[in-house]
Amino acid sequence: MHVLLVDDELLFLDIMQRFMDKRGIDFTGVPGGREAVEAVSRRDFDIVVLDVKMPGMDGIETLREIKRLKPDLEVIMLTGHANTEDALKALEIGAFDYLIKPVAFEELYAKIEEALAARPLS
Amino acid sequence: MKGLLNVFTSLFSPSGKERGEVDAAVLAAFRERCRTFKRLLSSNHEALQCMARMEELLSGDAPFGMHTVNELCTRTGTLVFQMVRLLERLDGPGAENVSSPDSAAGPDVDSKPAGNAHAALQARFREIGARVTEALRAPVSAPDAPPVLRLADLDASMARVAGGKAANLGEAARALPPDVARVPLGVVVTTTAFRRFMADLSEDIAARITARDAGGPEAGLDTAYALSSALQQRVTAAPLPDDLAASLREAVAALASETGGAGEGGPGVRLALRSSAVGEDAAGSSFAGQYRSVLGVSPEDAPDLYKHVVASKYGVTAMAYRLAHGLRDEDVDMAVLITAMIDARCGGVAYSTDPAGSSEVPAGSGAGRVLVHAVPGLPKAVVDGSLDVDRFELDRATLEVAHVHVAHKTARLAVDAGAGVREESLDESLADAPCLSAAEARAVARLALELERHFGCPQDVEWALDRAGVLYLLQCRPLQVRAAREARAAAPSGAVAGALALGGVAASPGAACGPVFVLRKQADALRFPQGAVLVTAQALPGWAPLLAKAAAVVTEHGSQAGHLATVAREYGVPALMGLEDACALLADAGEVTVDADRLAVLPGRDEAALARSRPRSAGLMAGSAVHEALRRAAEHVVPLRLLDPDGPDFRPENCRTLHDVTRYCHEKAVHAMFHKGGDVAFPQGASRRLSCGGKTMQYWIIDLQDGLDEAGRDRRTVRLEDVRSVPMLALWRGMTAVQWAGPPAVDAKGFMSVVVEASMNPDLDPAMGSPMAMRNYFMISRDFMSLQSRFGFHFCSVEAVIGERDEQNFACFQFKGGAASMERRVARAALVGEVMAEHGFLTEVRADNLYARIEHLPAARMEDALAILGHLIVHTRQLDMVMGSPERARAEADKLRADLAAVLGGTAP
Repeated sequence: MHVLLVDDELLFLDIMQRFMDKRGIDFTGVPGGREAVEAVSRRDFDIVVLDVKMPGMDGIETLREIKRLKPDLEVIMLTGHANTEDALKALEIGAFDYLIKPVAFEELYAKIEEALAARPLS
Repeated sequence: MKGLLNVFTSLFSPSGKERGEVDAAVLAAFRERCRTFKRLLSSNHEALQCMARMEELLSGDAPFGMHTVNELCTRTGTLVFQMVRLLERLDGPGAENVSSPDSAAGPDVDSKPAGNAHAALQARFREIGARVTEALRAPVSAPDAPPVLRLADLDASMARVAGGKAANLGEAARALPPDVARVPLGVVVTTTAFRRFMADLSEDIAARITARDAGGPEAGLDTAYALSSALQQRVTAAPLPDDLAASLREAVAALASETGGAGEGGPGVRLALRSSAVGEDAAGSSFAGQYRSVLGVSPEDAPDLYKHVVASKYGVTAMAYRLAHGLRDEDVDMAVLITAMIDARCGGVAYSTDPAGSSEVPAGSGAGRVLVHAVPGLPKAVVDGSLDVDRFELDRATLEVAHVHVAHKTARLAVDAGAGVREESLDESLADAPCLSAAEARAVARLALELERHFGCPQDVEWALDRAGVLYLLQCRPLQVRAAREARAAAPSGAVAGALALGGVAASPGAACGPVFVLRKQADALRFPQGAVLVTAQALPGWAPLLAKAAAVVTEHGSQAGHLATVAREYGVPALMGLEDACALLADAGEVTVDADRLAVLPGRDEAALARSRPRSAGLMAGSAVHEALRRAAEHVVPLRLLDPDGPDFRPENCRTLHDVTRYCHEKAVHAMFHKGGDVAFPQGASRRLSCGGKTMQYWIIDLQDGLDEAGRDRRTVRLEDVRSVPMLALWRGMTAVQWAGPPAVDAKGFMSVVVEASMNPDLDPAMGSPMAMRNYFMISRDFMSLQSRFGFHFCSVEAVIGERDEQNFACFQFKGGAASMERRVARAALVGEVMAEHGFLTEVRADNLYARIEHLPAARMEDALAILGHLIVHTRQLDMVMGSPERARAEADKLRADLAAVLGGTAP
């Protein structure tokens, strides 16, 4: 499994990196939407965890672009700013779920597994 | 979908040639549907959890912030929307839908294509979601006013622009006869000025607070201190807008010259800057010193110190207090009251009645006592709880001094010649002398009663006497009064047998029990455990945030009049203050009971004392802005009105809350999985019959993923020993532990009731014609099971997850129907619910429907819970028939309890 995490908070990227390393999961962290889109277009990920509020290209825009490039790639939105409108917009575009920080790592991991299990079988 | 139809057709044709390939395709498609169904169930489960959490917050005492409200509403909205979308996926798009009229079966299928229903459901969802969002919006802000107003121009109606403290003081200044007391000259820097100053800071501050709220009240005091310090620095470092600074300087200069002229402060006039926040002094949430006051300020420093007072909006105590009282950051605007300092010979705090209710009469009546607390020098020492105070009790009716307690006083606070205030030692000759004469005490008491009369409620009054003997009112606010207690112990404190410590004053009444935690320094506060008894030397206002966690408070110094006491009363935390040597006496006491009413600390848990004490005041948050926001939002989320899935009103258009939407989605999803389209939508080919001990059972199994072992996957009939699903095996254990004795022997009336109901109630459809009617389907994977079971009139469903992660484990059970009269079915549901509640299930009985759930337990306990469910499913099916006879019902209930004990103990026959 290869997880792409997009978050402008570098500390969070760092903590997630260690968490994923411990579980032996391939992990790539990028700090912004543009970097995320570029990463997705270059290689295959199993799942994307995407922050909503980021400077520059925000999470919703990034989600739209990712889904355009790879419609079957599941994306979990993760935000510190709970906002129903954003949540519904993200789900409309095709996000798998919209989680609110702080989220326990175990919980996030379970959600990642759930998203992978829910993927249409190829 | 057409393709799938063909696949099904060929699958069920006995002569299908390419059966193997087709089988695989059908199974894959079906598993996909099952995954969708499972996700819908899981969203449903989590949404119901969010709703339960909302109800818990609304009815509980635990503090919560706006972030929690936003989070719960957003999460619920997200989950319900997922359910709506997943239902669409299960149903398929409208035009191709398997439930189109020609293939539909069953009484509760919509008469129009599912696509229309989906559109209607989405529309309803969006309307409800918009109402929730609307409910969370902040109220309109305060009206605009000039940046600075004179105290003399204020009255009580101006609290939104001047803050409660300044508006009250302005009102009092107008109302008080000059022979009662004076009010110092002053101005107020309004909330308009505050908003202007904070305009550029507010976004950054909001973001940081959101991050704190996200950690919840348990985030820890160290986080709170760090945030508080960062926010305060942010505020004090920001420049005042030029025009605001100019207005402020001008107002202060005018005040200084006017004061000098009036002879109050002389040439070296000093000022007092006090917070006057909006809502600060509202009855029921007196912020009691949570904000900063700065005393002894020279006029030129006023603009700078104004920022410090404003910054104290983000003091750790104030932030915890707002969180505990459900005030949003944006609800609190900070005005600042600037008055001329009074050079006080002595000062203190007066209560127009006894706030702890030790007077034997109701507050506000003519009888009872006025309490006057006094110290030499500035009254700040009373409020801080930092010095011991003289206490005068005066009769409310005659103003006679009824009781005097003279403290041994060694120091006083005075205005410093440079800046601020300093503590100076007190002349020995004054140490044991009362600091007020009887006449002076009477004058203060009269002021308190005058203010109570004017404001119409008991008052907490800060006062000072200057060196000329003129009485000044510095501030006043409504006093927190606990109602007089019914069973006040008559015993004097000396008579409490076995007490670890005795004495002090009941600063907040009641009794509570917990382990002693002696707090010696600030850093100890970070380790203060939930439910402990706070024991400390000084009753410092800074300990107030701990009161949300403390069971009781005991201090060596301090009085009823301090801030900590006020906050303790507000939180309903019993407090004993002024109890000598409390730290040493209690340090190793372990668990104690603090009985403030009898001025005693008792060893261990003293049930008698606790029983005399009333429970804590309920709903600390009730009425607060955050509570209100949640309450308004929850109205569109929590209530369930869509009750009868078989009724004609069970339609998307009738969903009025998010709960209704989840109910609709859940019901329709079950329908889509198990009923719609009869044989076509439901691939019986994918289901296999269960055999147990060589006998085939009336149960069919659908393996979603890894619910069967290798051998089981290839068999036409699944043997029980092939099953790997943990929850299913646990349920089965309960179903089979005790042999079902068949329907209970029915009295004639019970039988008649069944016959009559069956012939008259059209809802009682035994559905014999459908292949689903008599079948019981288990959908399983290793950690999941869903059982849909229908025996004639009885319908029940169980969904459960048992895995390694406790927090994801759950079991939901729904049971309804029956053939007896409604009355008997209701009685049966109530009885079964009662038995389940005894085993830790949360149950809800609505008419003859029983909903029960249990969750977050370790796997072993979840398995027991499933075994209980299994037993109940089999053994309560026809209990409704004996519910007419209380004796029979009781006997059956007893047998049920005994059997369950046997099932769990493994001793069932």
